[in-house]
Amino acid sequence: MLRAAAAADQLAILALARADSLPAFASDGVLSSSEVFSQQLVTGLSNGMIIALIAIGYTMVYGIVELINFAHGDLCMLGAFFALTAVGAFALEGAGGAGGTAGLVALLLATAAFCGALNWSINRLAYRPLRSASKLSLLVSAIGASFVLVNLGLFWGGLPMEVFAGGTSAAAPKAFPALVEPKPAFTVGDVIVSRPDVLVLAVTVPLMLALTWLVRFTKLGKAMRAVAQNPTAASLMGIDVERVIGATFFIGGALGGFATVVYSIYNQTVGFQMGYRMGMDAFIAAVLGGIGNLPGAVLGGLVIGVVRAMSDGYVEARWTNAIVFGLLILILVFRPSGLLGAKLREKV
Amino acid sequence: MAAARRNPWVPVAGLAALAAWPLVEPALPASLQVGEPLTEVFIYAILALGLNVLTGFTGLLNLGVAAFAAIGAYAYSIATCEVYPFQLGFWPALAVTGAIGALAGFALGAPTLRVRGDYLAIVTLGFGEIVKDVLVNLDAITKGTQGINPLPPPSLLGTPLEARGQYWLYLGFVVATFVGVRALERSRVGRAWISIREDELASRAMGIRPDRAKMLAFATCAALAALSGALLVSRLSSSGEPSNYGFEVSIIALCIVIVGGIGSVRGTLLGAFVMVGMNSIVLVRLTEVLGSGAEGMAAAAPAADAGMLAHAWHFVRTWAHNVLLTPTNWKFLLFGLALVLMMVFRPQGILPPRAVHEDPPQPVPPGSEGVRA
Amino acid sequence: MLRKTASALAACAISALLIAAAPSAPAATGSAAPPSLTIVSSLPRTGSANSQTTSIVNGIKMAIEERGGKIGEFEIRYEDMDDASPQKGNWDQNIEAANANKAAKDPTCVGYIGTYNSGAAKIAMPILNKAGLVMVSPGNTYPGLTKPGAGEANEPKIYRPSGTISYFRVVPTDDIQGAVACEFCAKDLGSKKAFILHDRELYGKGIADVFKKSAPGMGIEVAGFEGIDPKASNYRSLVTKIRSTGADVVFYGGTTQTNAAQILKDLRSGGCKVPFVTPDGTFENAYIEAAGKDAMAPESGSVYITFGGLPSEQLTGRGAEFVERYKKKHGEVPEAYAVYGYEACKVLLDAIDRAATKNDRAAVLAAVAATKDFQGALGTWSFDANGDTTNRLMSINTVKDGKFAFVKAAGGGTGQAK
Repeated sequence: MLRAAAAADQLAILALARADSLPAFASDGVLSSSEVFSQQLVTGLSNGMIIALIAIGYTMVYGIVELINFAHGDLCMLGAFFALTAVGAFALEGAGGAGGTAGLVALLLATAAFCGALNWSINRLAYRPLRSASKLSLLVSAIGASFVLVNLGLFWGGLPMEVFAGGTSAAAPKAFPALVEPKPAFTVGDVIVSRPDVLVLAVTVPLMLALTWLVRFTKLGKAMRAVAQNPTAASLMGIDVERVIGATFFIGGALGGFATVVYSIYNQTVGFQMGYRMGMDAFIAAVLGGIGNLPGAVLGGLVIGVVRAMSDGYVEARWTNAIVFGLLILILVFRPSGLLGAKLREKV
Repeated sequence: MAAARRNPWVPVAGLAALAAWPLVEPALPASLQVGEPLTEVFIYAILALGLNVLTGFTGLLNLGVAAFAAIGAYAYSIATCEVYPFQLGFWPALAVTGAIGALAGFALGAPTLRVRGDYLAIVTLGFGEIVKDVLVNLDAITKGTQGINPLPPPSLLGTPLEARGQYWLYLGFVVATFVGVRALERSRVGRAWISIREDELASRAMGIRPDRAKMLAFATCAALAALSGALLVSRLSSSGEPSNYGFEVSIIALCIVIVGGIGSVRGTLLGAFVMVGMNSIVLVRLTEVLGSGAEGMAAAAPAADAGMLAHAWHFVRTWAHNVLLTPTNWKFLLFGLALVLMMVFRPQGILPPRAVHEDPPQPVPPGSEGVRA
Repeated sequence: MLRKTASALAACAISALLIAAAPSAPAATGSAAPPSLTIVSSLPRTGSANSQTTSIVNGIKMAIEERGGKIGEFEIRYEDMDDASPQKGNWDQNIEAANANKAAKDPTCVGYIGTYNSGAAKIAMPILNKAGLVMVSPGNTYPGLTKPGAGEANEPKIYRPSGTISYFRVVPTDDIQGAVACEFCAKDLGSKKAFILHDRELYGKGIADVFKKSAPGMGIEVAGFEGIDPKASNYRSLVTKIRSTGADVVFYGGTTQTNAAQILKDLRSGGCKVPFVTPDGTFENAYIEAAGKDAMAPESGSVYITFGGLPSEQLTGRGAEFVERYKKKHGEVPEAYAVYGYEACKVLLDAIDRAATKNDRAAVLAAVAATKDFQGALGTWSFDANGDTTNRLMSINTVKDGKFAFVKAAGGGTGQAK
């Protein structure tokens, strides 16, 4: 996990370094071919890191309860509405300087807490009663929960607040204010590394490190690994399995909360149907890396982000989804349990 | 519950009621007429029965069954539409569609035999997305978003069928599929499927070739899904846009199988009525009944010096006006809630299969301490 | 076990029946006393197109109210059908077919207002045509639905199995709008090189195709033509591609629902300040709201929206009266499409009024087809031989201070002048 985070970091730095080493072309606004490549890489890594952050929460839950959590993306969507409401209620927009930074940190923490609590509650209401049922029943329950969350997002968008444009068109996408302005943090030639790009890095990497620490070195982390390994044995060792599962849902949701704030600032849009793509990307990333495998999820997210960007840039945007899924299938055909996943245990 | 014996007259009575429905319906008051959505139920039932072979019997989770329906829909459209050179009739085109569907099933099944569990789920999901994208993008062949039309209506003995005839024909297809799938379930290959679901290693030891059985399951599922796609488009007289065969369709089909009772053929059939009925009949009616109460709720903002309470009340009223009082805005919620509740209160589905044995051996679910002890 | 299941099922069935039976009370009284006629609309009411369709429905209702809900001895009933399903969040072909069939079967139904999406019209048109039920669309702009030669080779013949024309629309079509957009880019913006995007849907791709076809004639080089993924979280990589071509205008054939605002935002934050031009699928307040004030600020680059008609504030005469009344009733300026819902319903009611036998579909259909010099909210116009409006007036709009602002009228044909 640690290694993967470091690798991600290195990749990002590499991208910047590569941009640095480019000869500076005349800034005529038209990109040269190597600038195009670097710019696409920056875009791909930023998008990939956001996907990775969502995917970690996703894959954590999977590791423990083996649930393809269809509601995860929609949970993030509600987190985005929560964040937007908070931005409106506390007038976070336009608060610059230290106050702005403090506001941003508070927003990240509050949204994480909200998403964590919500995910915990969904587990209590929709998944826990199904613990002994088949995995597929759990899956349908998650699908149902996802529909409910989508509808709550629709209601939320109708709140008569200024940030929701008075709420008169609840279903329409809402603009999320650029709390971190989309201005270049620095440019190399015509390659732009924007401040939101930096924000993505600044939020994601520490979180990944913290999570690694949590899973590796804390008592809760140990308990989580034990439950993932064998819940019965874990409970026999005195671990309160349900509590650990609840905590996992909380942490997974909280990571989604962080991710959704970063996502919203980066894309400046929230809408009640945005969860579909968020969840789908996270699912692909998690599977690509090997479900239940945290470094795998990060790697998967980065791969998807970069492949998407390159496909948009060098193939055609209309083929991007097919290329991403084609690659996924190809990888799974040759590595049936993902890039970093352990070989599935064949029964003996 | 394992020993529950089922009354053989229930399906017969159900079938008789369904067959008689078009004759009875016109006599009923307008509000009780259901009409169209029942034919939609039949189409979904065939799709779900196909999925049940793969996911229910064989235990291979498929999240992209709509792709096979799309392949069937387009195969049928290209085979019959006047703008293509083939221009087959309804029945020959159905045969071609089924064959192409089965081939597509092989094409997806063969390379992915090694891929298991949820990894297979996402491979099928990806396949679904790829098929949809290819259908949109290859517009030189598929006409892309234009859709292919017009298509000849379903016909019997050379006579094109109108709505009521289509209803009976499609009901016939459902019955035939039902009987066929039941027969398959009890056949040698069906028992092989179930044994693979229960324990692949053991079934291999018993001389079953899992790869072959799985391929057959894929092909059967795909052929039935393709058939449902063909029936759908021939009724609509248009292939529609490829986006009509998206992930949502796969999800609905999966929900039908699971809500009905995974692995149960009767359950799947019933599930189609419950799910599609809920979606296309109950929810639609519900919103009609409720009408919109939103209009009376628009109100002028209270004066700035009005009390807290006045402002709060205005806030709620405006919110209600914006979204809450429009019944169509509740559809996702009711649909989702129904799914969750059905699973929480009846996780095994409405009509679970007569259990061959206990649940398939899988990693002990967390929280069920002592199961293995 | 079985008994439990059976009783649970029975309970389900009974509650479903109760739900189904509930509306029978008002329906019964309606059919008993004065004879009634039904007008239905079939529009996507669930999901993201909801805000426009709400304003269209408001327009329809106002047109009925204006007549006191009555024509001659007939009471006019209106049914607001939803052609979207929750799992799609968008129009659904099965539901559209069901709506059309339901309307076709209802003997009191004399008019079908819809659809909003051109793809849905393709499903409904042949069904309604066979039933001889007149269909008036407030929103379909795909040319092939009415114009021979504008779409596929067999269009629009395939939508008219009965041989008569039963589909009419009050909006000008995309072949006009796409060309107007292109002309505006060439003549007013002085564009030389355009990057064209579309959402790979019937409407968006259709209008992008027209733009592409018109470009060379206007002296615009097409730097790129790409279908996008309307559900993507952002389009930064596309923006990089656009920047690398040196295009001086971006045209997007798409709607607010297919992420037009996101493309605009990514263009601006990616440092690309060229004009961004979109068709009427984005001519709704939601587009401005979704894009946010930064992306819409004039210093970020200009934004233009073409529209098949005039914006609400530019309407004169009856159109202005309608806007006034709408504002009074709903407390807001109507979305641009509201007036089309109003006009579609008005032209239908007018035809029912003129029809010799008001509850005869064929008579109503003939009366709609005979509509000449109709003086409505959109000016004075007629239906031509294809069922299209003779109104070809277009407008170019921009965004100023968070509101749509009229730039100029374009196109031609009859219009407000009369």
